[in-house]
Amino acid sequence: MAVIRYTEEELLELQPLAVVPKDFDPKEFNDLVSKVSEILALREEEYEKHHGFGNRRRSSHHFNAKPKVHKHKPKVTTDADGWSSLDSEKPEKTSFAFSETSNNNGSDSKKLETVKVRPNNKNISSSRPADSRDIIADKNTVAFNAFAALESDEDE
Amino acid sequence: MSVEEVTQKTEQIDLSADQKQTVKHPLNTEWTLWYTKPQIDPSEDWSSLLRPIAKISSVEEFWGFYSCIPRASTLPPKSDYHLFRNDIRPEWEDPANSKGGKWSVFISDSKKPVLDELWLKLMLSAIGELLEEDDSVAQEVNGVVFNCKKKACKFGIWTKSLDNEETLKKIGLKFKNLVDTKLSTPVNEEQQQNSHPRKPEEIVFQFMKHDARRDEPAKITL
Repeated sequence: MAVIRYTEEELLELQPLAVVPKDFDPKEFNDLVSKVSEILALREEEYEKHHGFGNRRRSSHHFNAKPKVHKHKPKVTTDADGWSSLDSEKPEKTSFAFSETSNNNGSDSKKLETVKVRPNNKNISSSRPADSRDIIADKNTVAFNAFAALESDEDE
Repeated sequence: MSVEEVTQKTEQIDLSADQKQTVKHPLNTEWTLWYTKPQIDPSEDWSSLLRPIAKISSVEEFWGFYSCIPRASTLPPKSDYHLFRNDIRPEWEDPANSKGGKWSVFISDSKKPVLDELWLKLMLSAIGELLEEDDSVAQEVNGVVFNCKKKACKFGIWTKSLDNEETLKKIGLKFKNLVDTKLSTPVNEEQQQNSHPRKPEEIVFQFMKHDARRDEPAKITL
């Protein structure tokens, strides 16, 4: 049986004679496609809202500048002798510096007292708490120098 | 019988006669247009997404349905059009497809203006039996496919068998020629005026069997 063939030109020529096939409801199909397109477009829009450009969560790009972390940076002044010193605007609360002025004012809070230094053993690897007396115990000891001893013998 | 009823009956007779007159260019075989709807609900499975749209048996019917359906370029992403011979389902599990393969080519989104024309040309080539020259091997082509992806589109030709490499290559070359001709033609007047020798885009035509693994090399490449 011979195969029925049409060239592209022949097929295009027949376009004006178009007949809608039986049992085909174009409206139903078009409605389906437009409904699906609408749902997908809404989803895309929703996605863009949350993940699109300029909507990145946990991003610091919406700040115009970096946050200021070091607000109170102490000033360093250098005097004529070449000594540098820090100028802190506010006197620290924990400062126990004794001055004549404070003594004259009779302030009770700024009395000369013994400062108990407690070593910070937080970051020491040993579980045993460090004792400040141990620091004192670690004195420099004069070690026996054999060469020095020999030299003294020769002199004799 | 009232005058109105008689008129109605006469009109019906006239309509059917008109239809008989217009339908006069039968196709070699009947073709069915299928549509794959994108998945909206996770409960929808592949078989429920795939649905036949229309059956056509003449050239006039083809133009009739083509004028009513949305153009390929307007389809939502993950939608497919399939034009398959007779009742062959566009699934590789279908007995008519199970021993065959497919020619496929990806076209980037930048070529969107020509997608509709490309798809029309491919459908016309299928229903006009232009993809196969030799009458003895006619109906090697089971169907043609348009897959709409987000940033690219895929065109395909599904074949009945894998064995006759020479026939498959001929089909592939026809396919390549069809696509290349369309892509090298300027789409509109503006493009025509500004047309200058462009570097041809590298488009690869591959023939794979349906159940090929992703990493498996193509059986034929053009």
